[in-house]
Amino acid sequence: MTGRDRIVVAALAVLAVLAAVWLLAVAPEREKASKLATEVSAAQAQLTSAESQLASASAAQAKYQTAYASIVSLGKAVPADQEVPSLIYQLAQATGQKNVEFASVTSGGAGGTGASTPAAKASAATGASSPAGASATASAGFTQMPFTFVFNGSFESLSSLFHQLDGFALRTTSGGLQVSGRLLTVQSIKLAPATTSGSGKPTEQLSATITATAYVLPAGQGLTGGATSAGPAGTATQTASTGAAGSANAPAVVQVNP
Amino acid sequence: MRAVNLIPADQRGGAGAGAGRSGGAVYAVLGLLGVLAVFALLYGQADRQISSRKSQVASLTAQAQQAQARAAALAPYTSFAAMREQRIQAVDALVNSRFDWAHAFHELGRVLPSTVSLTSLNGTVGSTSGTSTSTSASTTSSSKAGASASVASATPPGSMPTFTLAGCTTGQAAVALTLDRLRLIDGVSEVTLQSSTKSGSTDGSGGGSSAGGASNCPVAFNVQIAFDALPTIPATGSVSRTTTATVSATTSAGASTTGAPR
Repeated sequence: MTGRDRIVVAALAVLAVLAAVWLLAVAPEREKASKLATEVSAAQAQLTSAESQLASASAAQAKYQTAYASIVSLGKAVPADQEVPSLIYQLAQATGQKNVEFASVTSGGAGGTGASTPAAKASAATGASSPAGASATASAGFTQMPFTFVFNGSFESLSSLFHQLDGFALRTTSGGLQVSGRLLTVQSIKLAPATTSGSGKPTEQLSATITATAYVLPAGQGLTGGATSAGPAGTATQTASTGAAGSANAPAVVQVNP
Repeated sequence: MRAVNLIPADQRGGAGAGAGRSGGAVYAVLGLLGVLAVFALLYGQADRQISSRKSQVASLTAQAQQAQARAAALAPYTSFAAMREQRIQAVDALVNSRFDWAHAFHELGRVLPSTVSLTSLNGTVGSTSGTSTSTSASTTSSSKAGASASVASATPPGSMPTFTLAGCTTGQAAVALTLDRLRLIDGVSEVTLQSSTKSGSTDGSGGGSSAGGASNCPVAFNVQIAFDALPTIPATGSVSRTTTATVSATTSAGASTTGAPR
């Protein structure tokens, strides 16, 4: 073996040793470090997500009282149960303010004037004694409760009454949602002259037959979902009842500003 | 004179690259050691990174778990806020899907000529399957509504409100004027005369004929007014809302309303 040959062999041996060291020791370690860098990124993302959730939850906790008041107030528009007496009371109050006679109310959308009960009070009693009296129709969200109302009054007073009925729940000019009574969607209005009982001659008074729908929260879904003013279900003791929304004497105003 | 190499033949290799007694192996060893040193440096760096990143991962994971645990403890608040937001959107969708009857009546009273008296009015928010135009509008709006809210309104977006009027007026010219005026109502898309019958004519079978005799109803007419389809529900779900709630103690059922005049 000449000297040149020895040099070549030595160089090859050195390269082999270096490759072995690189492949067996250095490269796996660097690869491991690289994988850990990925894990660090993932852990950071997880932390960011968790902190975001925490911030959201903390914000929800900070605004709980406001949210609770809002959801209770919304119960005036869409209560947890049928609340027919409350609805009739609100309508009676509205008609009284507008000089409109609240002639009748009938549960169910198909009813007309002929099927109407003679007086609102009778229907109120029925609704109070039999909550399932109204023919409720389940929909994807809220449960629909169709009614047929008959009001007697002048054109102007009836128009004003319709405005007031819309005003029970309306969107304000600022984009907020203002709730002061039961949410009603009117499907049809039929106006016809109201005849006096004696002469039968037409008068300025009109009879308005209104088919409208009220809404109820789905069965099993309470007004506040078990929450109280102290805290949501599972976090605090139940200290307050949720019956505030059922009262017609204390209209609530929910102002939701975007 | 001829040059002669006096160095013995077996010792002449010292003039090459690998000169010396080691035959150049020393350079190879030095090179090997140098590269190994570099490798050791890289290995050390990687090892330090591994230990550092391991502790970093452990720390971040612990922090994340802590945050998740605290968030989980507050989850009922989050759920309650979500429920509230859902309710607001649902009620908002229903409120926005209503037809403004009061405004329509106000407009009707505003545009009707003084010579016209109505004997009956039948207003209905019809189904979405109307004319071809309304059908396409309702299809679009219904899909949007379905995406934004899960509440089925009794007057779904895309429904066509229609008024059917029966009335009396002084003559056919007054009926024409009435048709013109009814088109001025805010939101009216179409006004269609169904019948206009002068009292005493033989084919007087219009709906207004029952309103009275020839003396107080010279011409009885029936008109149908079609309004624009109910608007689609705006996508308010993505809008972040700041809520302030005020519970009033007043007993007034009437709210201060905006929009349609009384």
